[in-house]
Formats: sequence, C-alpha cells, structure tokens
Amino acid sequence: MKKFLLTLSIVVASMLVAEEASAQIKAGEGQVSIALESNSTYYMEDKKLEDIGLYRKDDRFKGNFGSNDFLKVDYNLGRFSAGVQIDAYLPPLYGYDIYENMQRDSKCTAFFTKYVQWEDQNWGVRLGDIYDQFGNGILLRTYEDRALAFNNSLAGARAYYNFNNYATVKVLAGLPRLYDVRTKNPVWGADLSLSISDMAGWYDGVVSVEGSYVGRYQANAIETMSRRGIDSKCLNMVSGRVNFEYAGFTMRGEYATKLNKDSYIPGAMARKGNAVHIDLGYSYKRFSVTATFRRIEAMTTNIMISTENMAGGNLLNYLPVLTRQHTYSLAGLNPFMGSPSNNEVGGQVDVYYSLRNKKARGKYWNFHANFSMFNSLDHKMGNDIREGRNIWIDFNFDVERQWNKSVKTTFLYSYQRRDTDQYDTPFAHYCDAHIFVGDVTYKINKKHSLRFEAQYLAANDYEGDWVAATIEYNIAPMFSFYVSDMWNCEKMQDGMYGNYKLHQSTGKRDYELLHYYQIGTSFTYKSFRAQLSYGRNREGIVCSGGVCRKQPAFTGFNLALTLSF
Amino acid sequence: MKKIMFLMLALFVGFSASAQSMPDVKVENQEGKVISTRDLVDGTPMIISFWSTTCKPCIMELNAINDNLYDWLEEVDMKVVAVSVDDARTLSRARAMTQGQGWDDYTCIYDKNQDFKRAMNVSLTPHTFIVDGKGNVVYSHSGYTPGSEQELFEKIKALK
Repeated sequence: MKKFLLTLSIVVASMLVAEEASAQIKAGEGQVSIALESNSTYYMEDKKLEDIGLYRKDDRFKGNFGSNDFLKVDYNLGRFSAGVQIDAYLPPLYGYDIYENMQRDSKCTAFFTKYVQWEDQNWGVRLGDIYDQFGNGILLRTYEDRALAFNNSLAGARAYYNFNNYATVKVLAGLPRLYDVRTKNPVWGADLSLSISDMAGWYDGVVSVEGSYVGRYQANAIETMSRRGIDSKCLNMVSGRVNFEYAGFTMRGEYATKLNKDSYIPGAMARKGNAVHIDLGYSYKRFSVTATFRRIEAMTTNIMISTENMAGGNLLNYLPVLTRQHTYSLAGLNPFMGSPSNNEVGGQVDVYYSLRNKKARGKYWNFHANFSMFNSLDHKMGNDIREGRNIWIDFNFDVERQWNKSVKTTFLYSYQRRDTDQYDTPFAHYCDAHIFVGDVTYKINKKHSLRFEAQYLAANDYEGDWVAATIEYNIAPMFSFYVSDMWNCEKMQDGMYGNYKLHQSTGKRDYELLHYYQIGTSFTYKSFRAQLSYGRNREGIVCSGGVCRKQPAFTGFNLALTLSF
Repeated sequence: MKKIMFLMLALFVGFSASAQSMPDVKVENQEGKVISTRDLVDGTPMIISFWSTTCKPCIMELNAINDNLYDWLEEVDMKVVAVSVDDARTLSRARAMTQGQGWDDYTCIYDKNQDFKRAMNVSLTPHTFIVDGKGNVVYSHSGYTPGSEQELFEKIKALK
C-alpha cells in the first residue's frame, strides 16, 4: 500500500509538471524531452478466485504490489541526438515473462539503455541501443513492446547510407538484450535495398528489390545442443524481397531461410528453417482489399539457444500471428496464438469499403470483412510424425455507421474455430464460437458523451457462453468513467474446461460462473494521462502486436500513468 | 529507483517551457517510399496523430477530425498527418484502412520501426500533436474522448 501511495504522489508531481512544462525544456541550443510511463497494480485477496485455484498460482509472486515503469530522456541538437531509458520493474507485474529470467531471490530489477545518434541527409550512425528490422522482421527485429515488457534492443552500432535514392545499405552489429540482462551472443547483419524504378526513372510506381543477411554467434552452442543436432556456433540467415506498386495495386514478397541448423524449442531437434511471406493489396477510392499469405517452417530464432524455456522474451525475429487482433473483449477472449511447433501455413484477407454522403460529411457507413485460416504442417514430435491439420479459422464482419453528429453505432460478428488441444496432440479438438457485439456512442453535446457496448459469445464447447457489457461516460477532453462486466454464463457440466472447485473426496465439481468486473476512470491533461481502475481480471492471453503472453487471473487496483514533455 | 524518478520529476518542474521542434526521422509514405518527417513541414500548420489498426480510440479520433475537416478548413489553413505505428503484421491492413475509412484528405505515413513514435515520446496511442508551419510542436494530447477534437481545432485556430 505504501508503494501505491508513493505512486499516487508521483501522479501529483506529474500533474504539476504537465501544468508547468507545456512543451519542453531548452538546454543551451538543444532541447531535452522526457517521457514517463508507469503501470502499477495493487493485488487484493479474492476468495472466489482462490476457491477455484486461479489466484496466485505462481508461488514466485509473493508481494501485493507490482509496477512496470519506464523513464526516457532524450537530448536533441540539430542532427545530433542522445538519450537514456530506465526500465524499472518494482517488482514486475504478476504474469510477465520477465520473471522467468530473474534470480529467484530478487524482487525488483532495472535496466538502462542509451544511445547517441547522428542523422544526416543521406546517412546516419547510431551507437548504443538499436531498434531496427529488416523487411518484415523475419530475420531480425529488435523492438520494444511495453505491454509485454518485451525489449530485445541490440547494444552496438548501426550505420546506413542512401545513394541518390537508388540504393540504401545498412549494417549493424551488437549484443541483444534478454529481459534484464545483456547477452554475450553477438548478432550482426546487413541490409541492401535497390530502387529499380528510381534507377529507371519511372515515377508512376515503385519497383524495388531488397536483401538481408543476419548472423548470430553463441560460444557454447555445440556443447549445449550437439545432442539436438547443432553443428555450428554460428547461425547464418538470409532473405530476399521484392516490392511492387502501381496504380493502386501492391505486391510485397519475402523469402527467408536459415543456412545452419538451429534449435528454437527446448527439446526439439535442430533444423534449418525457412519462411515465405506475401502481401497483396488493391485499393480504388474508398474500396480496398488486402491479402497475406505466409508459410513458416522452424523459422523462430532465439537470442540464446538453451535447454531451458526462456518464454516470450527470448526472440530475435518477428513472426507474429496474422489474424485480426480484436479490440472487443469477447472477440479477443481466446485468440489464435500461432502454432507452438512453429510450422504453419495460412493467410488472411481484409476488405474495406467506406460509403459516404457527398453533401453530409458527418454521415457514412464503413464496412470491413476479414477471413483467415491457418494449418499446421507435417512435423516430427519425438518419433511421431504429426500430420498437418487445420488449427484456426475465423471470419469477421463489422459495420460502422455514423448516423448524424451525435449517434454512431458499430456492429461486429465474429466466427472463430480453434483447435483447443494446443495443436500438438495427435487429434484435433475444435471449438466453434460465434461472437456478436453492438456498440453505440451518443454525443449528448460538444463535451459530454455516452458509450454502451454489449457482447455475447456463443460456444459449443470449452467454457461455454459468455456475456459482457460496458458503459462509458466521457467529459471531453479530460474525464472518462467506465464500468464493465464479463460473465461466463453457461455451465459446461461435462467439459474439461471452465472454472470449478473440485471436491477431493467425491470427485464432484462445483462450477463457478465468475463475473470479471472492472470499474475505472481516466484523467487527461495535455500529454499527461492517468487511469485508475479496480476489477477482477480473467486468466487468459494478452496480445500486443501479434505477440501474446499468458496473463494469470487477479483482482486489484491498477494505476497507469503516462507523461511526456 | 522510485526516489530517483521522483527527484528527476521534481527537478523538471522548475524548467521553463518553450516550443519544441519536430524531430527529423525516416518514415514511409503511402507508396512505401522512405521520406523524412522534415519534409512534412511546409508552412501549413498540422495535426499529427499517431494511430494503429488495433487502437479503437485512435480511429475514432481520426474519423471525428475527418468529419469536421471541411468546416475547419473554411476557417483555418491546416493539414492532418496520420502516423500509423503498425508493424509488419498489420502494416498492409493499415494501408488498406486509410482508404477504407475515407481518409483521402490526410497525409498518411507509416512508422513501422516506430522511430518517429520514439522520437516524439509517444507512450500510448492515440497521441496527437499540433505542429505550426515552422515545425514547432506547440501542443500535444494523449487519449481520446468524443468531442476532444474540438480542443485541437481551438489550438490550431490560436496559431493565427
């Protein structure tokens, strides 16, 4: 509680800062900018969650408080910039993968990143922590995602040069970050992109070809992993890309492959991986369609190959799930997480259309449909060969209607079929879900507005049916208040899922239909924002940018703060 | 650690405020070509709004600005820059969405490596900035509540 109060005092201090420093600080000729983000939870006892064994399943988490905080300070003078960032986990919020890598006895941890950079007209150099990606990130992507507490920045050097728009060459090398440690596995790479259309003097469209190379070295790779078939300390990977764009039509294709055997799942045999990624798109006025095809085979690349499971932070490349990421809670209740064996083929299609009234700009229909399907590939599990099978299908349709200046409605229908047996058992076990969402925003006047959202999930299996509702009241531009509830309203008596209390003596199950409620408020002033909420959170999957982490159930107060100036 | 943060914050309260100039970073345009954010500065004041395909309030805000845009243009000269921070996963969806939402009058740029987002110190989207004709950031606001677009218009009008 003390820490929570301390955090609250930071809120007050932040508000003062926001009041005072509306823009930024001058330091000599240059300028300093600062951003603070803090996310803290005070965990409460919850008898209901405890009864069904969902509360504090992880015995490593002992305290009542968790806080993930990020402070970033940058200095900028013309083409020169430099900065530092402190990531402080005081201790980390319950359920974040960073726990997997922390010393058992340590509670809190922090990590510093820093950089200096020169950005010229046609070239740039950066020393320190580097965030970059080649193409789609299939070979390499170093980035930060605070919602996952993920950061694999490369500490090293990067330089690029652009030759007359015809060619850009980029080289980089460094040591990647794994949670709160800097690893000793150097990673290096080069990327070349050639603009064929610029060379040919063709300016109606774009044609470009690109290629990348990435290497990773691990000194103890063979010793640790020779039984799994690793025969080189060095992993080399290459990829080639083609981009084309003309008259509303786009095509982007990438092929990537590993030149050495690599191990990416503890326990699995090492092998060479490959991936194909193709994006097609067409747009005409307010109609657009886009399609993605992707096939991946053993292409996940870890920062460090290990016999231990290091969870989601141990990643050097980016192979996100490509299905639609829903913003409504029930539509995103059980999202597709990709094939854990990392062998899948599939694709998705999106169609958008906006129907607009030429005279009344404030009246329109927006239509969106989306379909995706993913199958696993034949793969070896121990001595068994698992045949490829369908592991996910979904179809989504949503329509948004702005009726007039004050009323706007959204309707969403989503059909989702997933293999609940984690894809790697011999037989599939499909669960079909139909989700319906209605959302109405009513603007009472220029400042006050009300939003109501109702959702229903009908499922033939798994946890059964769910219902959810949210009411939100907004006073622009500063205040927002909301109350929501999500309720698992159907008992699945014979199912193996759902929440129940098991009576050891009789073997009888008492099903508990739990309410997951939330109440919260947010305050915004300029670039300062504070959100305080209280509620019970479901055990489930939290995804950000197509990467997911498991979130255990908990009940508590949450305070999220952001400030920049 | 908390104490250090607290001290740093307390220190900055004492500084005086002045306009910050927009950082120069490489992003992609609608056609996928690399451009400098400096090229956006052309003497016209602009609203720069960071959004992504998975951020519902961002899309609501950009739609609300779009609804009012022609009324606003009657009073002030301005433009709107929509910065997508979508990564490789949703980038093509973001490109399609700018068309499918009818944002024809916006300058749409794509910050797939999030360099612009980092340089502008954006933690959460939506985050919206007002930049004057010379490239000075004069106002910023994070989050969206229906009606708060009016505040952006007031600020941009005050630039005259």
